[in-house]
Amino acid sequence: MTSESLQPATGLDASKHDAVAVEGSNEIVLFPQGLPGFESCRSFVLFSAEAGPLQWLSSVEGAAASFLTIDPKLVMPTFRYTLSRTDLARLGSTDGSGLLWLAIVLIEPDGTLTANLRAPIVINPTSMVGQQVLPHDCLYPLRHVIVPASAG
Amino acid sequence: MLVFTRRRGEAIIIGDGIEVRVLRVGRDGIRLGVVAPASVPVHRQEIHAQISQANRAAVDPAASDPAYRAAMAARLKTRVP
Repeated sequence: MTSESLQPATGLDASKHDAVAVEGSNEIVLFPQGLPGFESCRSFVLFSAEAGPLQWLSSVEGAAASFLTIDPKLVMPTFRYTLSRTDLARLGSTDGSGLLWLAIVLIEPDGTLTANLRAPIVINPTSMVGQQVLPHDCLYPLRHVIVPASAG
Repeated sequence: MLVFTRRRGEAIIIGDGIEVRVLRVGRDGIRLGVVAPASVPVHRQEIHAQISQANRAAVDPAASDPAYRAAMAARLKTRVP
């Protein structure tokens, strides 16, 4: 994926940021069910950070939902998540290839950086559809520590 | 809340074509089968509630600030390639 500047969606000043170019003419990613807790947020934009592992996922409508995200495989190389046929159908994907995986980052009050590996966000760059997948059985950590409070 | 009593094998229909059927009643609980269109997410309530809460806790308005993201990325350099 390449970075390119995009015209901002309503309410966002994208001029200072590089947007992660997800293929397609439209940089808005559609989340048909929103996110758990943010069901009103059906459209998001994904921005890349300046040459770093973090992205910024931000809703462009509904409640203000702004998240830092990171590739789950960066924080857990063995991370493997099987998408159900239903998940794949919802993403408009036939075989799950070429999907973008993001784990939401949570910074705890003491500064510990954690990643939600239990419910990753999956985006299909071809269809520009995304969803947060919920586990059916095997549970990864909800708050996987990336950087402890004392470090960094 | 609508309340039904269902025996094994019986079902309820919700909306246009969502079906919840009692498959087995056992000591460990009740096994339910759900038929729903692919567009309708179906999850255990406690998982949905947990992820909902985690998302709300993770909302970070500062994420829009590139200096903030750079600072977080710098912290990550110590841990993540």
